Amino acid sequence: MTKGDLLERDNDLAALEAAFADACAGTGRIVLVSGEAGIGKTSLVESFAARHHDTARVLRGYCDPLLTPLALGPLHDISRSLGTDLAAQIDRGARTSTLFAQLLDTLLAPIRPAILVVEDIHWADEATLDLLKYLGRRLDAARVLLIATYRDDEVQRHDALRLLLGDLATVRIVERLQLARLSRDAVRALARDRAGDTDAIYSQTGGNPFFVTEVIASEASGVPATVRDAVLGRAARLAPGGMAMLDLAAVIGARTEYALLEQFPDIAAAGLPECLALGLLQDTGTGVAFRHELARNAVLEAIDTLRRRALCRDVLAGAIRAGYAEQGYAARLAHYAEGAADAGAVIRYADAAGRTASRVGAHREAVAHFHSVLRFSDGRSTAERATAATNYARECAVVDQLADAIAGYRQAVALWSDLDDPLKHGETLAALAWPLVRHGATAEADTAAAEAIALLEPLGPTRQLAHAYRTQAHLRMLDRDTARAVEIGGKAIAMAGGLGDIPTLAGAEMVVGAARLVSDDAGGRAQLDRCLDLARDNGLDELTALARMNLGSAYGEQYRFAEAEQELLIGLAFTRDHDLDHSGHYMSSWLALTLLFQGRWKEAAERAADLLDQPDLAAISRIMALVALGRIRTRRGDPGAREALDEALTLARSTATLQRLAPVHAARAEMEWFAGDPGAVSAEASAVFDLAAARRHAWHSGEFLYWRSLAGETLSHCDWAAAPYALQIAGNWKAAAGLWRARGCPYEEARALAAGSQTARLRALELFDALGAAPAAASLRRTMRADGRRQVPRGPRASTRNNPFGLTNREMTTLGYLVRGFSNAGIADELFISAKTVDHHVSAILGKLGAASRKDAAEIAVQEGLYAKNGEEPA
Amino acid sequence: MNRYLVERTFPDGLGLMPTQEGNGAAQTVVANNAAKGVTWVHSYVTPDKKRTFCIYDAPSPEAIRQTADTNGLPVERITEVRVLDPYFHY
Repeated sequence: MTKGDLLERDNDLAALEAAFADACAGTGRIVLVSGEAGIGKTSLVESFAARHHDTARVLRGYCDPLLTPLALGPLHDISRSLGTDLAAQIDRGARTSTLFAQLLDTLLAPIRPAILVVEDIHWADEATLDLLKYLGRRLDAARVLLIATYRDDEVQRHDALRLLLGDLATVRIVERLQLARLSRDAVRALARDRAGDTDAIYSQTGGNPFFVTEVIASEASGVPATVRDAVLGRAARLAPGGMAMLDLAAVIGARTEYALLEQFPDIAAAGLPECLALGLLQDTGTGVAFRHELARNAVLEAIDTLRRRALCRDVLAGAIRAGYAEQGYAARLAHYAEGAADAGAVIRYADAAGRTASRVGAHREAVAHFHSVLRFSDGRSTAERATAATNYARECAVVDQLADAIAGYRQAVALWSDLDDPLKHGETLAALAWPLVRHGATAEADTAAAEAIALLEPLGPTRQLAHAYRTQAHLRMLDRDTARAVEIGGKAIAMAGGLGDIPTLAGAEMVVGAARLVSDDAGGRAQLDRCLDLARDNGLDELTALARMNLGSAYGEQYRFAEAEQELLIGLAFTRDHDLDHSGHYMSSWLALTLLFQGRWKEAAERAADLLDQPDLAAISRIMALVALGRIRTRRGDPGAREALDEALTLARSTATLQRLAPVHAARAEMEWFAGDPGAVSAEASAVFDLAAARRHAWHSGEFLYWRSLAGETLSHCDWAAAPYALQIAGNWKAAAGLWRARGCPYEEARALAAGSQTARLRALELFDALGAAPAAASLRRTMRADGRRQVPRGPRASTRNNPFGLTNREMTTLGYLVRGFSNAGIADELFISAKTVDHHVSAILGKLGAASRKDAAEIAVQEGLYAKNGEEPA
Repeated sequence: MNRYLVERTFPDGLGLMPTQEGNGAAQTVVANNAAKGVTWVHSYVTPDKKRTFCIYDAPSPEAIRQTADTNGLPVERITEVRVLDPYFHY
């Protein structure tokens, strides 16, 4: 088969052509080419790219099957073919956002359209997947066709890739091509020059194109049973020199650069021509490569262990001589070093590769590299082992392998303690606190932070101590222990400020600001703003997101929903621009809660449901989305509230913090109220009441007290509970309703009005009906009937009264007050609506009656017999 | 996938007729439902055509409300249900 002559790929090529035509017209496209190993993904893409070398810039990046992939490996390849210094910038510590933006700028340059190919993304490192996500969201107006290939049977084992594919599924410009096996006819056509049974080849290979071509090339008499046998059958025709070359190439990897091959002149001279002649290796322009990874694997597996180890040693030495350490290929050197079982080299290169991976956001790869360092560190000094354990633990914490992070830090803590190094010992203890608290071990985290401070304080002001203060303040803030958070956070701010440690200073401002804000202390806002300024000026994007997140949730916890919504929308826009999905999800869950309390249930329900469909939703976001959904279902009388809130409770218990437990138990108390179980209401409302009261959390405590009083408990007076709840419990429904209205919470307002006068109850019914709060409305209707009121409005649809002017019920009522000479403010007070709404009704009335003034409208109403002069409805 | 009984009220009576037009309207509803993974199994209608009791398979009550909104249909109550029939097969 010659290049460009692919069998049964016409439709796939046509799809690529169509996508490229779109790209040329200015609509960027992404095509995901998938299929099993050997199906011909590369052949298809190469054949397509070959047609466009004259019209497009073709850029290629490869993901390699190393033990641990090279972070941003494909970006290295692309950078080299572009002749830019992107790869060198990685080593110089450039931020990935800068690198990605530079690549995007290059792609957007108004010259020829670009075809960007990223091969074998099932082997991609985490940072490369970030790059693909980044591009996937930004190519829609670019003259770029991005093609990514992967083995679909590997996707299930690669969580991060699965998430990327899920994410790309929502992008409009993405298309998937799944390559099919060859048909029987195609196999016959390929094998037509070969003696023997072509049908046997078809049935043995199943039509896998690589397998078919290997069988044909092996020229064996029978049909080999596996692709491995076919490859080895073909290799068996090599002379010893050729075999040595092939083994060397197999150990080196998917591609062997000429720069590296030059380190092995004898082997190359003796064997390379034969390997190329037989087609076992191919010239790629910059080096040689196997026709397929399946072939390399077959050859590699056939090399015995000792020889493989010796070859790895040779290749490692050659690669070092070729300057690979200086060219950003530490990950490959670490790979060879592990194969050679050379502990010193593993430590040197895996450590370097781990640091690079961590810096560019390939944290899973960093974990693997640092784990290698740790495994080979047995004979090393205590300090080296402690550093290795710390590096490993830090990366584990980033990727949420919390148990490993805790174990790693504990190991490092013990080693630093042995060395009697209080600075490192204290620093590591403070670092240990964070995975502990996220693991739900709040008490242990507190202890670790306190021990850290005790160790560090005698040493005087240090960055480590400032950071330990900031950590402990954060723990106190999460537990809503405002006084301690402010006190300890203040020390962190003073010390970090004195030392010029900006990240710790900004982080501490955020912690103290958030702690004050959740306690309704207005000064918190200024501190969060200082944090935002510092974060913006110093490029601390994650801290910016964290600060917005805390602003939104703090306002939300204070029932200041309009402000919460505003902050969350700003924060969401920021996380979208910076691809900070986890922070974005958490803010979105709080936005759902905010919308719920503002009576926008439809938006809230859709947002919460969308979030819960996200495959990688963090527990804290999941809890808040479930609370929103559970409350909406309860209030609508929809099924499934208990399922949602059961799951929320399980998750909240594992966090063991008031911040999660209080919203879940409050939502459950409300659910039990509608289930008609006062005992359960009490139990839910008491579950974390003591903690909320100890923390003086006015809103959580207020809602719990409200439910407990409804459930029939006799409560001692609680004057610091949030005013609307306290007023309602005290029976002052009117004042409570006014405060709820001021906060823009229509359901809570209606609930207060429902305890009031007949007019108030009618308004409550109106609010409940408008919200779709069926259970609350039904319950109020029962109460009103039981109280002897004969005419209870039946519902939102049944209550339109006929009048010749087309006035609505509400407008008719308002008109009655106009006849009686009420002012707008007076009407607002009577009807429990805002003066602005009355204004609105009055304008509508004037328009419909054709009246020039309020007085005019009142006269028309009497003349037309809508009302008697005293404002009574005519009999 | 859960099964739900959805109760709806039509104060002016349900307009859906067994005509070509009615069939068209029903097919629009079916297509809108499919987009959210909602399946309308069948419905019972009172003789005055003012109330309907509809059996749906859907991933969540929110999905039913969303499609009802798209289709311009009222929702009075959603109840999760299981099938129980009087003919037991051993």
